[in-house]
Amino acid sequence: MYNFNFQPVFENLDLLGYGALLTIRMSLIAMVLGLIVSMLGAVAKTSGIRPLRWLVDVYVEVIRNTPFLIQIFFIFFGLPAVGISMSPDTAAIVALVINVGAYGTEIIRAGIESIPGGQIEAGKALGLSPVQIFRYVVVKPALRNIYPSLTSQFIYLMLTSSVVSVISANDLASAGADLNARTFASFEIYLVLTVMYFLLALGFSTLFAAIRRNFFSYPASR
Amino acid sequence: MNLNRRLFTTLAASALAASLTAPAMAADLAAIESAGTVKIGMLVDFPPFGITDMSGNPDGYDADVAKALAESMGVTAQIVPVTGPNRIPYLLSGQVDVLVASLGITAERAEKVDFSNPYAGISIAVYGDSGLDVADKAGLSGQSISVARASTQDTGVTAVAPEGTDIMRFDDDATAVQALMSGQVKLIGASNVVMSQIAAATGDRFNKKFDLSSQVQGVAVAPGSDALLAKINDFVAEAKSDGTLDAIHEKWLGEPLPEFVKNPK
Repeated sequence: MYNFNFQPVFENLDLLGYGALLTIRMSLIAMVLGLIVSMLGAVAKTSGIRPLRWLVDVYVEVIRNTPFLIQIFFIFFGLPAVGISMSPDTAAIVALVINVGAYGTEIIRAGIESIPGGQIEAGKALGLSPVQIFRYVVVKPALRNIYPSLTSQFIYLMLTSSVVSVISANDLASAGADLNARTFASFEIYLVLTVMYFLLALGFSTLFAAIRRNFFSYPASR
Repeated sequence: MNLNRRLFTTLAASALAASLTAPAMAADLAAIESAGTVKIGMLVDFPPFGITDMSGNPDGYDADVAKALAESMGVTAQIVPVTGPNRIPYLLSGQVDVLVASLGITAERAEKVDFSNPYAGISIAVYGDSGLDVADKAGLSGQSISVARASTQDTGVTAVAPEGTDIMRFDDDATAVQALMSGQVKLIGASNVVMSQIAAATGDRFNKKFDLSSQVQGVAVAPGSDALLAKINDFVAEAKSDGTLDAIHEKWLGEPLPEFVKNPK
């Protein structure tokens, strides 16, 4: 019978709390930058410019068809060979942004393509400028349509960030691993980590739901 | 029924206790010499000390030492693969006469088995770019150093590192080495075993900065095998002086037998 001993975990809750903060910070930065990359990617993919479309196609296919672990290794250990050297924490964020950007590009592209052509023509008929049409007639309804897919991708990004300790970046999982190396209370530590990741995911869900209520709660015909 | 079960449990427990406290079987040198073979236990999962070669035979530093030992005794070596946890029980129960199994000499183990003088050793040290000047632990300040998380070298580096040292912990030695080779860190805490593999790949790009700790390994025999142990110590002394151990160390670890093994404190 395994004897539970949560003592070492509770004594070091500040360590785990700090790790959780690092995970939240890293995820938020990666989500914001990832959203920008996804938007640019989606716009490039739906634009008529062929070479640009091909370029984004290559990016999306390469990233979506290779493991994240390999991508992060490549960025941290491979890029110094061509003179690009980043700190582990920066490399982790770059890897997360590149990864979520590829998935986000496809999700937002689907959203943009879901806007019927008639809606854009209606915008033109109302005398809106091309920028206004893009912003209010295309992007906003598009984001509203794919909001659940995009936010679950973001939550998945937060959970995926737990592997960044392989390049010695600091986050909640690495805080747990360090604590484990000192106290050997593996089961207790990982149980607490599970609960903490779950609460983080729940927190992000709540945040996303609040954003949705504020920005996308206008009535729609569909 | 209940009583029977209790009786059985008691018997089984006392049998187990008896087997655990049974006096160790001392190995008899004369018996080994008349049989013409010495049974030598060694690890086969601890490169480069103990490995299995392409055709499935034990090979490595320990295997070469075992063969040299048998040769000096004038008998043939019968190598028995053992594992980390079972190597001392194998020796104490007489299933092997001798252990050449990378057994680190510790006070705790010395209570159970008799050790020869050291024939090998593993040292943990800080290594790094040859151009970098880091003479001691104070030089670590402001540097980044990679280690395998929770390893002996992690403990060693963490214990001596001054404020301002960036200790980067990776999942294993391979990744920590990768960080060094790709230039993400300038220093690494690693064992001489790992460093010999790095040196094989990179030449003189990295060198040793300072030692952290070392552990010597001895040939072990069951307590009371004094004649055998004396013979083994003669062999170790001779192999150290005639260059046999240097050659074996050179073959598997890329450098002659280190000073801390040759002349232990």
